Amino acid sequence: VEGVARTLLSFGRLSRGLPFGRAHGLSSRDPLLPLAPRSQENADPQRTAFLLRKQWTLYSVTPLYRFSNAHLRDYARLLSAFIAAEKQKGLAVEVGVELDIKVAVSSLPYLKGSDQDQAAILVQLSSRSPASPKNSEEKLIWSGWFCCVSGDDLSKNVPEDFTCLPLFLVNGAECYTSIVGSWFQKTFDCSFRRLAISPLILSWMAAMWTGCKVDKTASAMELVFSVPCLPQPLDISYAIHPEDAKALWDTVQKTPGEIIQEEVDVFMDCLYSHFHRHFRIHLSATKLVKVSTAIASAHCDGIIKFLQSQYLTGVLMLLTELAISQIE
Amino acid sequence: MDETVAEYIRRTVLKIPRDEIKTMLEKWGLLSETQLQTINFRQIKENISQDVVQLCEENSVDIKQAAVLDIIYNHVYPNKRVWCVYQMKKTGEEAEFFDLTDFKKKFKRRLRSALKNVTINFREYEDNAIWIRIAWGTPCTKPNQYKPSYVVYHSQTPYVFISASVLKSNLPLLCQALVLASNYHDIREMELRSHSLNSLKDIVFKRYSQNFQTHYPRPLQERNVAPESADLRIIQENRNEKERIERVNREVFGDGPQPKLEFAQYKLETMFKSDPQMDVLDKKEPFRCLVKFSSPHLLESLKSLAPAGMADAPISPLLTCIPQKARNYFKIREKKHFFPESFVSP
Repeated sequence: VEGVARTLLSFGRLSRGLPFGRAHGLSSRDPLLPLAPRSQENADPQRTAFLLRKQWTLYSVTPLYRFSNAHLRDYARLLSAFIAAEKQKGLAVEVGVELDIKVAVSSLPYLKGSDQDQAAILVQLSSRSPASPKNSEEKLIWSGWFCCVSGDDLSKNVPEDFTCLPLFLVNGAECYTSIVGSWFQKTFDCSFRRLAISPLILSWMAAMWTGCKVDKTASAMELVFSVPCLPQPLDISYAIHPEDAKALWDTVQKTPGEIIQEEVDVFMDCLYSHFHRHFRIHLSATKLVKVSTAIASAHCDGIIKFLQSQYLTGVLMLLTELAISQIE
Repeated sequence: MDETVAEYIRRTVLKIPRDEIKTMLEKWGLLSETQLQTINFRQIKENISQDVVQLCEENSVDIKQAAVLDIIYNHVYPNKRVWCVYQMKKTGEEAEFFDLTDFKKKFKRRLRSALKNVTINFREYEDNAIWIRIAWGTPCTKPNQYKPSYVVYHSQTPYVFISASVLKSNLPLLCQALVLASNYHDIREMELRSHSLNSLKDIVFKRYSQNFQTHYPRPLQERNVAPESADLRIIQENRNEKERIERVNREVFGDGPQPKLEFAQYKLETMFKSDPQMDVLDKKEPFRCLVKFSSPHLLESLKSLAPAGMADAPISPLLTCIPQKARNYFKIREKKHFFPESFVSP
């Protein structure tokens, strides 16, 4: 409950307008929504392309003790040794597969919100089968990255020895996630927790992201509802043409530059009542489990997909916010 | 025996659950009783299938015979495929006597005149169901036995069930062949699709118990009502409302078990209407939506919504009309009518 209250509070704070948005000096064409992901006109789409269209599982991470950007190579070495040891202990990995696993740890300095943020850290596991020749292609089998986008709330309250990278995103097999996670936990005395996304937050995402301007033809705004507790479970997918969804949101949102809870509620209620008019089903009584728009999709189990590089940082800002609220 | 035939038989046997293999081979009838007795059906499937292939070699089984095993498998497990329903149309002639031999001949002739390389098998089952398996090739390639189309035709009806894995380009030819062979004039695809072949049959053959508006609602004593609590201090709130919901729900869904469908899809092109006080969207164009309901047993699921408090009773006719209209794909537009609350579905 506290987490939710905290989030609502912060959303309320952000909705009154952060200087942050204006500091970036975006063009006046785009609606200035400090809360909504902003189009990053200076982001290099090439550098972030590898993050797009992949499914990332989300975790919140407590601050890392005595982590240093200068020792990334050493961390890669140590993690590599750890993985090899785990394999030998028999706590592996994939049955019957003998893989030579290589670890790379790098910094992504362009993935941050403010200057106070720590640069994002990327961990990648690649493999090469020992049978194939030395210089053959390595295959990327697992990626995980820590990041902090506008995490001032957390970082300003934390002692010097700690590094704040509260959001962790993973793509790859669970067995590797648990090995890498264990190593980080042991080495930096931090802890990981799956980040769930509540229906409340999903509604915010639906409203915010629907309002974002997208250059090319956008995909539909889709809401997925689940009714598991019936004798026969039911899933409902409700997809709205992106232009129509945006037109609705534009009439709901009264003040450019801020979004308030009431507006999100009105937006969702409009969609629910349009649905009810046709089917006489109360969507509000079901569970909203997934939201999909042209810029990103999010699932309540804490799974995200980024679809547009120019809104990447904006979405990360929201996710960082969620991670921080789960930690506190 | 061709190694492609051997491989095809091997793979077909592997699909079958181990406990069913013996029965299906018996139905198939290509291996003698003596031969079947030499197979150890307790060993792993890989080995069973190798043994079967070995015996088929001895019998010089050809691809057309091998295909029969595939039909048998699909007849027992039709729900692994998605089936579309088609309806054929005559121009008001009397029902003619159905000649199976004539049907097969005309069907094969039409397909073969267009495509040299095609494998066609027929198998008749009870209730006048004719199963047709077609493996498609091209002028230069042999038929692809791994992507066959399946057709189930009930000769006493105008309905044909086609398994949707048909390569799109062959569909018009297939439809033509069916119409010609069965002496109909035309064929149209119904907006009805499901994995459950039997449920599709239930719907088009009206084999489910339909909902009738009763003027004399049955008194509730006949139904299994949850036993009243012995403690008189416990009162069921809204008992009247609960009973009303149950009754109305039964009226719109009918009493018997629902046909089994997995999804229903609605393309909405209706206007967005809101409370004028809310001061939101007021467009003259439709609010375009696509709604999809999915469930292992959709109609039963929808039936349980009102009693669970998640839907009004009666629930929308857009949902309850699915079996009668024999469709699960709808396009809903606003009715240009005096009463803006009604919808029309073409």
